[in-house]
Amino acid sequence: MSRFANLADKPKASPKSQHQPAAPGNEEGAAATTSVSTPPKSNSRVGRKAIAAYFTPEMSLAMHVCARKYGLSLQELMAEAFDDVLRKYGQSPVGE
Amino acid sequence: MTIIAIVSQKGGSGKTTLSVNLAAAAEAAGAIALIIDTDPQATASQWGAWRADKAPEVIDSAPPRIQAKVDAAAAQGATFIVIDTPPHADSAASRAVEVADLVLIPCRPSAFDLAAIKTTVSLVRLFDKPAYVVFTAGPPHAPRMYEEAVELVRGFGIEACPHILPDRAVYRHGSAAGASVIEFEPEGKAAAEITELHLWTIAHVNMSTVAHEGA
Repeated sequence: MSRFANLADKPKASPKSQHQPAAPGNEEGAAATTSVSTPPKSNSRVGRKAIAAYFTPEMSLAMHVCARKYGLSLQELMAEAFDDVLRKYGQSPVGE
Repeated sequence: MTIIAIVSQKGGSGKTTLSVNLAAAAEAAGAIALIIDTDPQATASQWGAWRADKAPEVIDSAPPRIQAKVDAAAAQGATFIVIDTPPHADSAASRAVEVADLVLIPCRPSAFDLAAIKTTVSLVRLFDKPAYVVFTAGPPHAPRMYEEAVELVRGFGIEACPHILPDRAVYRHGSAAGASVIEFEPEGKAAAEITELHLWTIAHVNMSTVAHEGA
């Protein structure tokens, strides 16, 4: 009946029979029992810290659009900006 | 295929109401319409669920997947796609504008709301897309007020759509019943207004497509 249901991100009001794509918790448990042969999926946030700030919608939009235009993620764009400002104030860029 | 992005950085401007009713008008005119709901609040999806996924269908999408979904929907026969976006969603709004043939910016005809469309206007300029402000939820009979609103919009460097969607109770009654205004009150004024807006949209997209091809 439904023509486009297959394109939805979330399954539409279907019974709860979806096979979950291995939750991180389960994966860790599995890795623990089989020693370190299957390490858990690398998490890009491990060992990193979040830097957040509040800007106007215009600034947010400009940054997102700029990132999109040059095929970068917002994080890559921010990293570039932080390195630039570090250089500007005579500090060593960190570059990551 | 026609792809319309409904974008406004302001909340409560009637994005979802415009999205679902424009798609319903397209469906009523014989198109195979689809609404792509990129709003995490999933208001359009809720409307779709209320009507048990009766056409026009609503699917959700994370912003990075919009283009892929548009392509897949086209391959599955969609001929008219409306992308509904959340307010203040830079990622969803920019992706939607990027894939769209035409951008409609719903806006209440009030000074506060009009001032807030500047950001949206800069977004459509960046992607160089044809875009029009559609006045929504205003009084049905206030020609002078709309004249002033049109002037103000022009001051931002964008044109207003000649068709307005004034506030009508049938939008609330229809939505609550999971219906479009065309289904809920086919002979009503709101149905006539959204039908006219749809026809204008189609004519406009065809015109700009031909102009681009000719260029």
